[in-house]
Amino acid sequence: MHDGGINRRQALKALGTGIGAAAALPWLSDGGLLAFARIQETNAPPQLKVLSRSQFATLEVLVDAIIPTDDRSPGAKQARVADYIDLLLSEVDRETTLAWFGGLAALDAEATSRFRVPFARLGAGQLDAILQTISRNERAPQTPLETFFVIAKQATIRGYYTSSIGIHEELRYKGNQFLREFAGCQTEDGQDCPHCGQKHHAE
Amino acid sequence: MQNDPTLDVNLTRALDESKRLADSIRPGSDRWDVIVVGSGAAGGMAAFQLAMAGVKVLLLEAGRMIDVRTEYRTMEWPYASMRRNRLPPGERPIDVAEYSFLDRPYGSNPAFEKHKKVLSYAANRFTRNWVVDERQHPTTGTPYAWVRSRILGGKTNFWGRGALRYGPLQFNAASRDGFDVDWPISYDDVKPYYDKVDVLLGCSGTIEGLMQVPDGVFQRPSKLNCVEVAFKRAVAKMGRHYIPGRAGVTTDGVLNNKYRARCAGRGRCGRGCDIQAAFHSPTALIYPARDSGNLTVRPYSIVSEVLVGEASNRASGVRVIDANTREVMDFKAPVLVLGAGTLDTTRILLNSRSSAHPGGLGNSSGLLGCYLSEHIMGIRGSGYIPARIGTEATLDDGRPVAPYVPRFRNVTDRHPDFIRGYHFQGGGGCAEFPGMAHDIPGYGKAFKSNVRKYYPAIISLGGFGEVLARKENRVALDPAVKDAWGIPVLRFDYRFGDNELKMAKDMADSIEEMLTAAHAEDIKIEREPLPPGWSIHEIGTARMGDDPRTSVTDRYCRLHDAKNVYIADAAPFVCGGTQNTTWSILAMAWRTMDYLKERLRAGDA
Repeated sequence: MHDGGINRRQALKALGTGIGAAAALPWLSDGGLLAFARIQETNAPPQLKVLSRSQFATLEVLVDAIIPTDDRSPGAKQARVADYIDLLLSEVDRETTLAWFGGLAALDAEATSRFRVPFARLGAGQLDAILQTISRNERAPQTPLETFFVIAKQATIRGYYTSSIGIHEELRYKGNQFLREFAGCQTEDGQDCPHCGQKHHAE
Repeated sequence: MQNDPTLDVNLTRALDESKRLADSIRPGSDRWDVIVVGSGAAGGMAAFQLAMAGVKVLLLEAGRMIDVRTEYRTMEWPYASMRRNRLPPGERPIDVAEYSFLDRPYGSNPAFEKHKKVLSYAANRFTRNWVVDERQHPTTGTPYAWVRSRILGGKTNFWGRGALRYGPLQFNAASRDGFDVDWPISYDDVKPYYDKVDVLLGCSGTIEGLMQVPDGVFQRPSKLNCVEVAFKRAVAKMGRHYIPGRAGVTTDGVLNNKYRARCAGRGRCGRGCDIQAAFHSPTALIYPARDSGNLTVRPYSIVSEVLVGEASNRASGVRVIDANTREVMDFKAPVLVLGAGTLDTTRILLNSRSSAHPGGLGNSSGLLGCYLSEHIMGIRGSGYIPARIGTEATLDDGRPVAPYVPRFRNVTDRHPDFIRGYHFQGGGGCAEFPGMAHDIPGYGKAFKSNVRKYYPAIISLGGFGEVLARKENRVALDPAVKDAWGIPVLRFDYRFGDNELKMAKDMADSIEEMLTAAHAEDIKIEREPLPPGWSIHEIGTARMGDDPRTSVTDRYCRLHDAKNVYIADAAPFVCGGTQNTTWSILAMAWRTMDYLKERLRAGDA
């Protein structure tokens, strides 16, 4: 099958997988497989469930400002935290969804009034200025935007640190594998521990 | 279907097996020596002991059979679904605050109108097919977070694995502080059974020589990770112990069980261990018992009451309502063993009303349902251990349970404010989800790097305190409200008392003191207890004793009022210390079954 020059084998290659993965995705037609490959390749979001394109764009900028890409690992945008939130909003009660719509709209209003561009088109310095403002009273938010920041940050944390990027690339979590024996602190085995610097013999 | 691989678990095999068994096992379709009600730790151990001794057993489980091969998804990552850990839209667990502030029955609240199923707080994407729908299983009265699971194996499919023994401080508690009464039996009576349970099922732990939590026959223990070693060294200077958790998990393997392998250090045991290293009643007890040829399991069998025979001091069988067809069936056998769980066993007995037993079977003392006890919990503390701040992640959670600080109050000294005591469970280091991230302020690269900086350093411990067994803490049948099968539900009248609240205050102070001693940074203390029931360690509502006027069962957990009815769960326990309950249920059930086997041999059951 040909579709824009990509056949099934090329699609699998784009997925970084082979026959095994194709066998594990038996419900995907050739067309579905191609679409899946493109999503993986371009990191394009799947069909949005609740958010409009522009709301989604605003949200992507917000979550990536909360947890950005750095030297160590990709940020919340690449970890597809906005998709996670879109699905979340499609399943929660209407009031919660409306609170998010209100928050995203308020972000745009803030950006427009301060910098005359929508939130998604802010420059780095402008974006940071707004984030600073709305995160000021994180422990006891006063304004609707401050409250929205707290809600969005909590959801970003949940979405990011449950993603493959968050768990494996950022935290470098090492558990959930078959061990001969759990090692623990090396002082437990009568040695000085290189991970914490504690000596075998406690002072 | 949710179109979500983490939720669309294929239950066909379990459902087919359940239907086949329920259709084929009928009153009179066979003869049984003993009927056992419930298939968790209590019913599982009872059925295992009897079947292995050649006794023909009918085991009645209110829920369906389980397919452990598909339903235990031990190593599934959260990103297997974009829904992550959330339940599907129609299902909703009750949250902490709702337990205290919503009216009972919880499921009837307008807050849940839009939901198809209302589940206890224990529901998650792994347990959602196992825990009951609160709408079908209402409770009334005071707030109580009652976690129930109707499935083969019950709550042992997702239990916390804490495998601690009661010791002399529990069996002889009253002799030490004058409150209430001692158990009619001593630690020496039960010790051999704890030892046998350790060997049969596997228990990981260290020999410590502490009288407040006696040692067992242990398999390879867990080790402490870095932050835990720092904490241990700090509290040792205060004369307190911080020891590897004791887990009902086989780390060296068990003999004579072809279903179970030894622990592979993956963690995440609470969603069901797919290699069966953790104790789960189906593979550890019920499948081997079934292989003996002496055990018949009938799922979908909701027991509504015990039937009394011609002699008013003997039961003749049980009334069963089929969970699916609602057909009412009376199953008969010479002996009954109730192991439905402390509160459901009590409910069945309260509902077994007859002219000879107007207040329910076993209630001639008027005490059936009284003395409900569990553990007060929720008081916890956390902080960051300096030695691990800013270090790279290590593998810190590949073990069955976290370490634990055994009780240190009222062991050798006497606290001025309260009697009895509490212990702490918890540990730290790198977990799959960095819950501490929610407490890190800010955003951007600074936030992100602070999360990974403090991630390996977190330590967090929570207290479990004894709730005094008081007569006024009780359950009774609600006069009006019934469950989905027409059986009266329990009305709770249960509150934490002065002793518990004073103990909770001391818990908060002492965890703060210990974290400070460990030089922890950013110490956070939670001082508010969780709602009653949260511990899932309920005991005591059919207490044992030698005097039928002041107790419900005798010292062998047999009803004073019905000589052929035994209780295998924790309803007969007099008091429960700080210890997690399951290992004592297993040991006591074994002891009770040994007694029953003797009676059967003597033709005097």
